[in-house]
Amino acid sequence: MPLLWLIAIVIALAAVGAVLGRRRALASADGDARRLHSLPSYYAANVGLTVLTPALGLLALWLLIQPLYVDWRVTELIPDAAIPETSTRGLVMSDVRRVAEGLDTAIQQGAMTEDEAARLQTESTDIRERLAAVGVALGSNVRPEVLTAAQRYRDLSGTGTTLMAVAVLLAAIGGLAVSVLMTHRDFRARNTVERGIMVMLIAAASIAILTTVGIVLSMLFETANFFGQHSWTDFFFGLNWSPNFRGNSDLGIIPLLWGTLYISFIALLVAVPIGLFSAIYLSEYATRRVRSVAKPMIEILAGIPTIVYGLFALITVGPFLRDYFAQPLGLGNSGSSVMTAGLVMGIMLIPFVSSLSDDIINAVPQAMRDGSLALGATHSETIRQVVLPAALPGIVGAILLAASRAIGETMIVVLGAGAAARLDLNPFEAMTTVTVKIVSQLTGDTDFASPETLVAFALGLTLFVITLCLNVLALWIVRRYREQYE
Amino acid sequence: MNDMRLIDRATDMTDVKIAARGVQVFYGDTHAIKDVDVDIQDKTVTAFIGPSGCGKSTFLRCLNRMNDTIDSARVEGDIRIDGEDIYDRRVDPVQLRAKVGMVFQKPNPFPKSIYDNVAYGPKIHGLAKNRTDLDDIVERSLRRAALWDEAKDRLQEPGTGLSGGQQQRLCIARAVATEPEVLLMDEPCSALDPIATSQVEELIDELRANYSVVIVTHSMQQAARVSQKTAFFHLGNLVEYGETGQIFTNPQDSRTESYITGRIG
Amino acid sequence: MTDMTAPAAPADAPRKGSLLEQDARTKRRNAAEKRFEVYGIIAVGIGVLALIALLTSILVNGLGAFQQTFLNVEVEFAEDRLDKNGNRDPADLAKVSTFGYKPLIEGALIATVDRLGLRPDGMSDGDIGAMVSNEAAAQLRNRVLADPDVIGTTHTVRILANARIDGYLKDRVDRASAELDGNVTPQQLELTDRLQAAGVLDKAFNWDFITAPDASENRPEASGLGVAILGSLYMMLVVLCLALPIGVAASIYLEEFAPKNRWTDLIEVNISNLAAVPSIVFGILGLAIFINFAGLPQSAPIVGGLVLTLMTLPTIIIATRASLKSVPPSIREAALGVGASKMQTVFHHVLPLAAPGILTGTIIGLAQALGETAPLLLIGMVAFVREYPDAPPEGFFDPASALPVQVYNWTQRADPAFVERASGAIIVLLIFLVAMNALAVFLRRRFERRW
Repeated sequence: MPLLWLIAIVIALAAVGAVLGRRRALASADGDARRLHSLPSYYAANVGLTVLTPALGLLALWLLIQPLYVDWRVTELIPDAAIPETSTRGLVMSDVRRVAEGLDTAIQQGAMTEDEAARLQTESTDIRERLAAVGVALGSNVRPEVLTAAQRYRDLSGTGTTLMAVAVLLAAIGGLAVSVLMTHRDFRARNTVERGIMVMLIAAASIAILTTVGIVLSMLFETANFFGQHSWTDFFFGLNWSPNFRGNSDLGIIPLLWGTLYISFIALLVAVPIGLFSAIYLSEYATRRVRSVAKPMIEILAGIPTIVYGLFALITVGPFLRDYFAQPLGLGNSGSSVMTAGLVMGIMLIPFVSSLSDDIINAVPQAMRDGSLALGATHSETIRQVVLPAALPGIVGAILLAASRAIGETMIVVLGAGAAARLDLNPFEAMTTVTVKIVSQLTGDTDFASPETLVAFALGLTLFVITLCLNVLALWIVRRYREQYE
Repeated sequence: MNDMRLIDRATDMTDVKIAARGVQVFYGDTHAIKDVDVDIQDKTVTAFIGPSGCGKSTFLRCLNRMNDTIDSARVEGDIRIDGEDIYDRRVDPVQLRAKVGMVFQKPNPFPKSIYDNVAYGPKIHGLAKNRTDLDDIVERSLRRAALWDEAKDRLQEPGTGLSGGQQQRLCIARAVATEPEVLLMDEPCSALDPIATSQVEELIDELRANYSVVIVTHSMQQAARVSQKTAFFHLGNLVEYGETGQIFTNPQDSRTESYITGRIG
Repeated sequence: MTDMTAPAAPADAPRKGSLLEQDARTKRRNAAEKRFEVYGIIAVGIGVLALIALLTSILVNGLGAFQQTFLNVEVEFAEDRLDKNGNRDPADLAKVSTFGYKPLIEGALIATVDRLGLRPDGMSDGDIGAMVSNEAAAQLRNRVLADPDVIGTTHTVRILANARIDGYLKDRVDRASAELDGNVTPQQLELTDRLQAAGVLDKAFNWDFITAPDASENRPEASGLGVAILGSLYMMLVVLCLALPIGVAASIYLEEFAPKNRWTDLIEVNISNLAAVPSIVFGILGLAIFINFAGLPQSAPIVGGLVLTLMTLPTIIIATRASLKSVPPSIREAALGVGASKMQTVFHHVLPLAAPGILTGTIIGLAQALGETAPLLLIGMVAFVREYPDAPPEGFFDPASALPVQVYNWTQRADPAFVERASGAIIVLLIFLVAMNALAVFLRRRFERRW
């Protein structure tokens, strides 16, 4: 792996530089470390960082930009006429890349020489067969434009990689030279190094923002693409969801949103009373012994991955509800249903609601409780009429956060709710949700040009916006509530 | 006139409201109150004084069993109100606390309207037959707490919006609304400014007509101003108990004297 | 205090009763109090019961996966079948496909049955042969390819029985259901009983469940978690290497250095929001940015690791900040007081004191990441992978599966034997999670410091 070698060389240079820097600094102070402005190790670190930062930064930038540049140059080689009607430029380009990679593999395995690969012609050689011999399977015969483009692709990539190595090494050596020359006993190495570290700390903190930007951008572009191919009125107001891979699909979000909200509603119906009452019981009534056993047990529920809940819904709760409720009541024969998913999701949310409520109830000052008890109120009157009203905003915030969890939950609904989009009131009927459809449209073989795939990004963006609004609102309420009692 | 009042006072003072004998309080392993005997008279203001941590607040909280709310607290001995042992198994602290109201150090109005703050006690104890009855109770209590004039136009506004002194008077109104027989006050003025303090002190003096008031204070001047009887606590012991005037002018115990003259505290 | 003109308290105060007896109203109120407490007990009870039901369901369904039914038969590695040229040339040996081995095993089983006289009346050779797993031929072939010297000898080999026979021993299949099932006959079950009595067939602990790769749709008995465990391990390595340093660096900046301005406010809001973004959205991010844009391979642990890193960062940052905050300011002041720079103070004094808390938070974050499924579905980890990934770092780019995704994969398959496998995989997953959380609790107990 040449890239690894390159990085190793840069790191080695940094290490050598560090030793040199330290030595030079000590030499400039006649070997007496006390006469240096900073500790010797800071001079070493300064040289090391000056070698690493520009070189590795350049490397990262190059790796990011080179494929884009090469793609752009190679795309020019493929005339519009060479793109088959059933295909797109993007698909042809991925063919090109696959052929190029195939040629690389062939050379690596010694089945072809570098020279031969560059001079291959579709007329004289059956490329597909030659590549199959080294284990690279191609979907179809290679067309001449694709081969030329692939050869050009390899050519450009090869040149690019060589240039990159040279540039990175130059940057590293340059950094080494400059920083070693700068090293002198009066040079403020500690300040420089600390500034460098600070920049890294800030960069790390900014990753949170980058992630959000990445989320929004990644979905925004594809969503825009989707709305270019499919009417937005149908998406937002359509009452039908029936994707059809031959085109002309109905892609209305309403039935999916209905399923999502219905399931979330049932989940909250389960989780909020149980979570709230257990929080009240554990923080106000339970003896220390009971609390020390029951509290961790409920918290364990929070640490269990959602796939486990999903499996529980699929193999236990679903069949149970079907056999003992849905069928005797004549409400349906489906194991996966709104009820199954809602119930299990409710169980998942119990610890979430209870630990948030616990925090919030404990934030109500003891003085308030004492005031009520001193008036002769019973414990429950105090809780119902003083503590809960005082904690109400916080609890509303907690419920909103739980709702946002429920709406975004995926595995429980994938395994417990079903796949049929339906607008129905019967809770024992299988319905589907936004997250289930994102999974089903984006897994398996996906073609990123069709609206049936792209709709997943629009669904994702809708989901993101809904949960973001809920979260921001909830966090705002909770924060205001906390400030009230601080 | 003056003589009449003195005679009045003397007859009142024979009437013992609360009798405590051999009271011990433990917080876990800490022995907070050691063998306290005291008789608290009806229609009198009794002040508990002493350095901080001497147990005066702890003893106060024994009188309406507020110590029950603290897991580690344990009370021994015998406390009787009107001759009934309040730590008897048959006694419901809820009923006891309706009879023995309490006002705390820091004003703690509920996050409700002024009206609801005062109406809370009467509502849970079922003291009002109907809405007008409740309105009457609220008005009477606010008047008795000298808050009516300031609050009558803003009864539906939150109690937390009042000033510190007003909040404390609201808490007093809240306590008297349940028609208690004893009113316990735990340093009711320590969080208030001097003007609010004097208002509350005046109020305490007036409440004496109807209630037996027990007030904990760290301020000797306050004890001298408002109380008829004073008890001095030190390190969990009741050192001295007697007429306020006597305690301040002619203390019997050297510790009391040291405290009053400022040598310990 | 002119208010004293107000009407005095009514003389006939409503409650002058004794404290020693409760009035009717107090009794009613105390009953309400009891009811309220009972609601609380019921709520806690439901929570605890749900946990018990969940764990019981998984254990009851999944423990069977750790046991497997094997047949011990004497197989003759006939030279005329496996190596017609007799020259042991690996290329020639490889030309004999699994179809060449199948009759060998089936014949051996039939011979064993007949030698012991166990054949139920009228049972055909085909039905007996069908009791062997399809995977057995492949295993035998691998054995021969690895060691051509066994050709021409006779060995007792342990081969897998098929999933239905296995299910019979685990009470998943019985004679009544066998009547209706095209894949198993009651006669086969009868023979199973006889073989078990004769010691030819037995049920034993199945290491392959933990080490073997996944197997195809119609051979659940051979499927294992090897690739999934390796894939999860690789992803956790990536998460640890990226999320820990980045998370700690970000926390140090936000907690110790950040000025109070718009930018840091924005970062704070972002972090708390990211902690609540649905996990599937991170999957979309991974698909769009890491796979479609950056061109990283699908199904690779590196992509899964990157996505999980982004998901785990908020958890680590929140835990780290809490433990930095718990280091008392006096420590910082003491270090600054002897002339250390702010950076030295943080790295020499604050960070080491906060380390146990950071470590605990990181382990809990990793445990969360280990159980995460939804985003991995979108980046192609659902693919059917039978090859173990290489050693890192190249292995990070090889296709692999992941534990929770393997569970999902198995639930999507028709054969009921996979339900047992999925539950068994969950047990493995839960064991990892319990171990990680126990480690976190241990670290907290061991190094916790109260200031």
